[in-house]
Amino acid sequence: MNRLLRGETAKLFATRLPLWSLVTAALCGGGLTGLLSLIGPENATPPLPGLDTAEGVGIVVGMSGLLLFVPALIGTIAVTGEYRHRTIGTTFLAAPRRGRVLVAKLVVYGALGVAYGLVSSLFAGLAVITGAAVQGVELGVPLASLTALLARLAFAAAVYMVLGVAIGALARNQLLAIGIVLGYFYFLEHILMIVPGVNVIHPFLPGGATAALTDFTFLSDAIAEQLPIAAASTTSPLVGALVLLGYAALAAWLAIAVPLRRDLR
Amino acid sequence: MIILTVRTFSLLSLEYATEGIRSMITAQIDVSGLAKRIGDVEAVRDATFVAAPGRVTGFLGPNGAGKSTTLRMLLGLARPDAGTALIGGRPYTELPDPTGTVGAVLDLAGAHPAMTARGHLRSYCALGGHAVGRAEQVAELTGMTDYLDRRVGGFSTGMRQRLSLATALLGDPGVLVLDEPSNGLDPAGIVWLRTFLREFAADGGTVLISSHVLTELQYGIDDLVLIDRGRTTWTGPLSEFTEHGTSLEAAFLELTSDGASPLPTGTEGIRA
Repeated sequence: MNRLLRGETAKLFATRLPLWSLVTAALCGGGLTGLLSLIGPENATPPLPGLDTAEGVGIVVGMSGLLLFVPALIGTIAVTGEYRHRTIGTTFLAAPRRGRVLVAKLVVYGALGVAYGLVSSLFAGLAVITGAAVQGVELGVPLASLTALLARLAFAAAVYMVLGVAIGALARNQLLAIGIVLGYFYFLEHILMIVPGVNVIHPFLPGGATAALTDFTFLSDAIAEQLPIAAASTTSPLVGALVLLGYAALAAWLAIAVPLRRDLR
Repeated sequence: MIILTVRTFSLLSLEYATEGIRSMITAQIDVSGLAKRIGDVEAVRDATFVAAPGRVTGFLGPNGAGKSTTLRMLLGLARPDAGTALIGGRPYTELPDPTGTVGAVLDLAGAHPAMTARGHLRSYCALGGHAVGRAEQVAELTGMTDYLDRRVGGFSTGMRQRLSLATALLGDPGVLVLDEPSNGLDPAGIVWLRTFLREFAADGGTVLISSHVLTELQYGIDDLVLIDRGRTTWTGPLSEFTEHGTSLEAAFLELTSDGASPLPTGTEGIRA
């Protein structure tokens, strides 16, 4: 197993993916949050609560959660790259016990996901603190609460990267896998969120669980204001975290079990 | 003077040979009754042959005859519906040190275009559990030392084939399985590869090399396995195949199609 972990790590670091992942993490974490903090949420259309309120900080920091599909995409692209560039055959020749290869990939990319999450959260945190300082307001939450929220976002990023790896390993085709990730997080979940009756399951979908984990109900609240339906409810952050972990575990299990029987062409 | 030179040369090559035998674990390839259906097509119906240590075995057949599918089953990349494919008495997937036993060059073997050749070789070195220095050693063996720090994306097909072979050699295997390795090689590259494989076999290694190009195998192999529409139709030493006074080409055409090109009498007897 150590050999496979070393091999997968060597493969990852033989490309520039780790560097670009962390640069992307910094941009995704700092970008949206930074922009909104500097403009001041109260100057947005429609106006949002300011950074001097807990709600305002939650919304501004939680915005970076909308970009969680990015770590998922990084994982997906990395794994489907093995199929696209036809290196998966060489990999399975070196390690015929394919389940172990997938375990090694999930561990290595899980670690990259943690690094991604930490960098993303660090920059989101810096952005919101800088934003508050520029506007001369006191941050609406104590630093400890902000750190806890950022840690939950980092956790979500790691889980999403693992989900992305699993989806990629199952789909194999790069375009298909990217389509699944984007189609789901950008389209399908939002549709499910506004279908009356169906939206009761939303808290138990990955996006809903993430919203619960990060206390980010901005989208579902906004939808409820516009439409004559009840807002999709959220569960507690802990349940959200467990639901997300459950999805990651299920996807990982499938990704480990399914390739075992497949023929390589 | 001439005799002296010859003797020195043969002594040298003997030394090289014993060194080779010491370092490699040789193994025989045994394929028996292999069958595989892909969709509606019976890609392989009955593949049965042996590739012995110390010999280069050519695996020859027209396009779509089932060569690649047979080799993939041999290497554990596809599951056979029936039959067995063993290397040194074991299926590939049960070898304790797979890449240290068998080196494979697949027709589809690829490399990540963003990696340098060194990065690629070191990654697969780590994955296979081989000594780190092997990356540079196999690069030297395959003549690609000067290309080590270039990104694979810019490689020609010939360089990619060399990188494939280098990757296959990382574990210093005693068995080489090559699927159409000459694709994309220039004439000099083909001669180089042939010489390389001959030396590998001379050191006691087992070589199984597939091709759909007859002339490519004509000079480099000891044994021949003919496959047509999923069935091995002839196996044996190349010398027996051609000793019936017929050309290799005529015999090949006869044994791989519905008798489109009639064969002189006497060749009938060697049909499997």
